[in-house]
Amino acid sequence: MLFVLFPGFGRAESVLYGVGGDFKGFDPVDAGDVESADQVGRVYEGLLEYAYLDRPYHVIPRLAEALPEVSADGLTYTFKIKKGIRFPDDPCFPGGKGREVTAQDFVYSFLRTLNPRLQSQGDWIFVNHVRGAQEWVDRVSSSKDPVNYDAPFPGFVATDRYTLQVNLAKPYPQLLWVLTMQYAFVVPREAVEFYGKDFRNHPVGTGPFRLKAWRRNYRIEYERNPFFSGQTFPANTDPEFQADVGKPLPLVDRIIEYDIREYYTTWQMFLGGQLYSAGINKDYFEKVISPQLELSGDLARRGIRLQKSPLLNTYYLGFNMLDPVVGGMSEPRKKLRQAFASALNVKKYCEVLTNNRSTPATSPIPPGVAGHEPKPYPHAYDLERAKRLLAEAGYPGGKDAKGKQLRLTMIMPGAGSTDARQAADFYAEQLRAIGVELEVQMLTGAEYLRREHEGETQIFWAGWVIDYPDAQNVLQLFYGPNKCPGVNATNYQNPEFDKLYEHVVSMADSPERTALYAKMADIVVEDCPWALMTYPLAYGLFQPWFQNYKQHAFPYANWKYFKVLPH
Amino acid sequence: MGAYIIRRLLSVIPITLGVLFITFFLFRVVGGNPAYRIAGKNASPARIAQISKERGYDKPLFLNWRNPLDAQFPRLCLQLVRLDFGESMTTKQRVSTMLREGMLPSLCLTTPLFIIELVLAIALALVAAFYRGTWIDRSLVILSVMGMSISSLVYIMVAQFWLASEWRLFPVWGFEGPQYLLLPILIGVVAGVGGSVRFYRTVMLDEMNQEYVRTARAKGVANRTVLFRHVLRNAMIPILTNVIVAIPFLYTGALLLENFFGIPGLGRLTVNAVFNGDEDVIFATTFIGSVLFVIANLATDIAYTWADPRIRLK
Amino acid sequence: MSDGPNNTGLWQIAWRQLRHNRFAMVCLAILGLYTAVWIYAEATFWGARIRGVTPAYKVSNYDIRNQPPSAAHPLGTNFAGRDNLSQMIQGTRIAFEIGLLTSVIVIPIGFALGAVAGYFGRKIDTAVVYLYSVIDSVPGILLIMAIAYVVRSVVERSEAFQAITRYVDSGLLAVCVGMGFTGWVGLCRLIRAEYFKHRERQYVLAARALGVSDGAIMFRHIAPNVLHLIIINFSLRFPGLVLTEAVLSYLGVGVRDEPSWGAIINDAKQRLWLGNWWELAGATAAMFFLVLALNIFGDALRDALDPKLRTAEAKTA
Repeated sequence: MLFVLFPGFGRAESVLYGVGGDFKGFDPVDAGDVESADQVGRVYEGLLEYAYLDRPYHVIPRLAEALPEVSADGLTYTFKIKKGIRFPDDPCFPGGKGREVTAQDFVYSFLRTLNPRLQSQGDWIFVNHVRGAQEWVDRVSSSKDPVNYDAPFPGFVATDRYTLQVNLAKPYPQLLWVLTMQYAFVVPREAVEFYGKDFRNHPVGTGPFRLKAWRRNYRIEYERNPFFSGQTFPANTDPEFQADVGKPLPLVDRIIEYDIREYYTTWQMFLGGQLYSAGINKDYFEKVISPQLELSGDLARRGIRLQKSPLLNTYYLGFNMLDPVVGGMSEPRKKLRQAFASALNVKKYCEVLTNNRSTPATSPIPPGVAGHEPKPYPHAYDLERAKRLLAEAGYPGGKDAKGKQLRLTMIMPGAGSTDARQAADFYAEQLRAIGVELEVQMLTGAEYLRREHEGETQIFWAGWVIDYPDAQNVLQLFYGPNKCPGVNATNYQNPEFDKLYEHVVSMADSPERTALYAKMADIVVEDCPWALMTYPLAYGLFQPWFQNYKQHAFPYANWKYFKVLPH
Repeated sequence: MGAYIIRRLLSVIPITLGVLFITFFLFRVVGGNPAYRIAGKNASPARIAQISKERGYDKPLFLNWRNPLDAQFPRLCLQLVRLDFGESMTTKQRVSTMLREGMLPSLCLTTPLFIIELVLAIALALVAAFYRGTWIDRSLVILSVMGMSISSLVYIMVAQFWLASEWRLFPVWGFEGPQYLLLPILIGVVAGVGGSVRFYRTVMLDEMNQEYVRTARAKGVANRTVLFRHVLRNAMIPILTNVIVAIPFLYTGALLLENFFGIPGLGRLTVNAVFNGDEDVIFATTFIGSVLFVIANLATDIAYTWADPRIRLK
Repeated sequence: MSDGPNNTGLWQIAWRQLRHNRFAMVCLAILGLYTAVWIYAEATFWGARIRGVTPAYKVSNYDIRNQPPSAAHPLGTNFAGRDNLSQMIQGTRIAFEIGLLTSVIVIPIGFALGAVAGYFGRKIDTAVVYLYSVIDSVPGILLIMAIAYVVRSVVERSEAFQAITRYVDSGLLAVCVGMGFTGWVGLCRLIRAEYFKHRERQYVLAARALGVSDGAIMFRHIAPNVLHLIIINFSLRFPGLVLTEAVLSYLGVGVRDEPSWGAIINDAKQRLWLGNWWELAGATAAMFFLVLALNIFGDALRDALDPKLRTAEAKTA
C-alpha cells in the first residue's frame, strides 16, 4: 500500500530513489562534509574530475580542454577551458538566459573559497600554496570594505576568455587532486549576487542535474540539466560496463532522496524496492550476509547485489603526545603506547563490532595509496607482548611503582549511540585484560571536535577520511607545525619526520617519493602516536535494476553514470 | 484589567532574559568556542582565529567595560530582540527559514494529536466520573495507569514495526499526505491519553464532592444534569490551565514521533541542534518558547475570569 | 502544636486505610520485590568492585551472541553474549539509583525554596516564582538534555570529579543532575502553597509570639507537617524519571556504561527485525511493572495521607 503512495512510480522516466542526509546547501565553498559534497557534486563541476572506472585513481579534464601545461619550475599551471560550456537559464542572468563559462568565472570561484568572510572549509587547498593567497586573505580579513574580486590577483590569472593560469608560491604536486574537489567548482557570479544569502538554496551550475524541489529534513529532488554539455559514458574494458559506452550522460532523468534517520526504516523501504541501495547495519548483517560474506538466499534470489570494496580511510586511537602519562618521546612512554596498541584485539573488533566489514590496519597510509606497504603491523594483538611492554614502561600488571592502577581516559564521538556504546565497552574490556582501566567518554560531535582541537584529550578515537589519493594527505597529520589546534591532533613532533615531510611535499609523484612515504609511515608506526585500528570496507546492497555502479573513494561526481532499468 | 495585562506582558522580559542566560551559559560558556566546527577538519590555527573574530566569539562573554553592549551575551539579546535569529552552524541556513519550514509539519502533527487526546480524555473522564466506584470506573483508571507505564519509545517501536512494516496498515515513513500522520497521531494519543484521563477524572470527582453538588443531588436533580451542567463547567478551570499552558509546546513538535516517522518538524530540528551544538537554533527556539509561555500563562488567567466570574484580576 | 496535624496519628490512619486497599497492597508487594532485586544488584555490583574484578554482567562471551531464551539464559543473550536477565537486574539498580540520586537534588532545593518562598512571601517569593517560571518556560526535555550534556562533559574532564566517576557512572550522574535541576519545580510549588497556609495558623503565630526564630519555625515547627508531601511527591515522580531516562537514552544522553532499561530498549530496536523480541519485551516488562506499581501505590498513598492534594498534585506533575 505504501508503495503506491510514493509519487513517480510507473512513469516512463527513470528515477533513482535513495537516502540522503542533513547538508549545508549548495554553496561549494561550504560543502566540507561528505553529505554536502555529494549533493553539490550533482549540480556543479570543476576543471578536473576523477576517471570513474579507472584504478588507481587518476584525474581527467572535465571543464578543461585537457590536463594543464606545467612550467618547467612546476610553479605555473595553464588550463585551457572548453568552449561552449553554459550556465543554465536562471532568473539571475540578464533576460533569464544562461551564459558561457569563462576563465574569469574560475578566478572568481577560487577567490570565494579563499574569502575569509565566507568561512569556507576549503581554503586550505589554496592558501599556503598559491602565490599571494595568504596576503589576499589577510587583507580581506583586516578591512571592512566589500571584497573586490576584480582586482588583479597574482595566483589566479585569466589571460584570455578561455585560458586560466594558476601561479604557485612553491611546487604543489597535489594541485590536480584538489582541483577535482568541490571547493574548486565553478559558480556564476550573477547567481551569488542575485540570491545573496539564499544562494546556497538556488544552485546554478553546469553539472548533470539541477535542483527541482527540496524540503529540508525530508526530501530532495533533482532533474536532468538540459544545459549539461557533452559528456558520454567512457569507453572501458570492464565487461560489466559495456552497455552504455558512448551514451550521453546523465543516464537517469531524476534523482529523489529521502532523509531517513532510523536505519531500520531504510531497510524496510529498500526491501520494498523503494530505494536503490542500502548499507547494512551491523545487527542485520548476519541475517543478510552468509558467513562466507555472500548474500544470503532470499536477497540473492531477488537479484539484489552486494558490493564491497575498500575505502581509503584509516581508523585509529590517537594519543595526545603532550599528555604526561601517555605522551612524550621517551622510551618508557613509547612502550606504554605500544603496549596499549598490542592489547587491542583488532581482529576480534572487526569480527564482532563490524561483522568483518573492516580489516585491521597496518599502516597509517591506507592500502591503495602509494606508500602503503603490505607488511604486518608490529603492534598487532599480542597479549603477552602487551603485558611485557607495559611492565617495561613502568606499570607491571598495570600498576605503577606505588601500586596504583593505571587509569586512562579516551574520548570518542557518537554520544550514546548504540554502536558507540558497544565499541566503548569493547575497548575497556580489552585494556582490562592487561590491568589497565580505560574510561571511555562518548561525546557529541561538537564537543569531541573541540576537545580534539584544543588538545584536551589523553586518548581519542578518530578516523581520517582521505581527501585525495596521495599519502601526503595522511602524513600531514604528523607534521609538527600542524599541531593543535591544527590537523595534527596528537601533537606528534619528530624532527626527523618533519624534515622528510618538508622535503616530500614539493616532490612530484615518483618511486623515490613513494619510498619516502613508506619510510615516514614506518617512523610513525614505531613512535606509535596512533594505535592503528581498522581500514573500513564499503558494503552496499543494490537493487538489480540499479546499474553502472562502481565503488569509488571520491564518489561525488559519479551520479551521472548511474542507470536505472525499468522495473 | 488593562494595566494587569500590560504588567504581565512586561514579565516576558525578565523571564526571557533568564531563559537566554541559561541556554547561553550551557552552550557558549561551558560548551566553548564553536569555531572548530565551522572551520572543518583541515583548518589551520589562523583560520580558526579568523572565524572566531568574524563571528564575535573573541569578545568578552558578558561584560565589556569599554562598551557594555559589545559583549557576546548582550549582542545575542539585542540580535534576538530585533527578531534576527542568525544562521545555523550545521545547515548554514537562516534560522528563521528553518523555523518557518518546520512549524507547519510540527503543527500538522501536534494539533490534531492534542485535540483528539483532549476530547477523548475528557469524554473518558466523564464516563469514569459518571460511573464512579463501579467496575467501569475502576477498569478505566487501571487502563489509564497501565497506559502511562509503558515508555513512549516502546509504543512507537512496536507500532511502527508491526502495524506499519509487518501488517502494512499504515505508511512506515514519510510526510506525503494526511494518511502519513494517522499512525503517529494514533500512537501519540494512546501514549498520552492515560495520564490525562486520570487527571481529569480526579478534577471532576473533587468537584462532585463539593457542597453544592451534594445539595443539588439531595434535591433530586438528575445525576446526568449535575454532571454536565455543574461539574463539567466548574472543572473547566483546572482543565483550562492544563490545556493552555501546553499550547506553546505544540510548536516544538513531538520529537520522538517526528524522528521515527520522518516528519520534518521542529522537534527533529531542535534535537539535531542540541546534538550538533547548533547554538543559534537553540537560542531562537528557547526564546520563542519562553515568549509564548508567558503569553499562554496570561491567557490562562484571563480564561479564569471567563470560566469563574468570582475571580478578579488585579 | 495546637492545630498542626498529629503526625503519628496521620501515618497510622493512612496505613490502616492502605491496608484495606487490595490493589495498593499488591503494588506494595511488587515494590518490595523490586527493592529486593535492587539490593541484590547493588550487592553483586559492589562485591565485584571491592574485590577488584569485573562483575559477571559485564563479561562478554562472543561465542553466544544474540541467543534466544534458553534454560541457561531465560531472556537470551545480548550483542556481547551477556545474559539479558542479569542486564535487566542491573537495570533495576540503575532505575533506583536514578530515583534516589535525583531526589537528593530535588528534595533539598524544592523544599528549601518552597519553604522560604511560602513563609516569607514578598520579595523572596517573587524571586523563587521567577526562578521556576524561567525553568518552566523551556521545553523540559531540551533543558534536561542540555544540562546533562554539560554536566557530563564537566564531570568527565575535571580531575576533581574522578573520585566520584570511579563509582558512579558519569552519564547517570549527568542525567540525574539534569532531571534534578528541572524537577524541583513541582515540589517547590506544593511546599510553597502549604507554607502559605501554615504561616497563618495558630501554632505558628504562637511560636512567633514566643520569640522562636524564623528558621526554627520553618524547619522545626512547620516542616513535620509537610513531610508527607515530600514522600507523596517522591513516589509519584519516580515513575516519570524511569520513563524519561529511556527517552534520554534514545537521544544519546543516557547512562554511559551501565545497562539501563532505556539503553537496552534502544539497543533492541535494531534487532526487532531479526525476530529478537525478548530483549525489548524483557526491558519493557521490567519497566512496566515498576512504574505501574509506583503509580498505583503513590495514588493510594496520597489519597490516604492527604486527599485534598489530588488536584494540586496532578496540576504540578
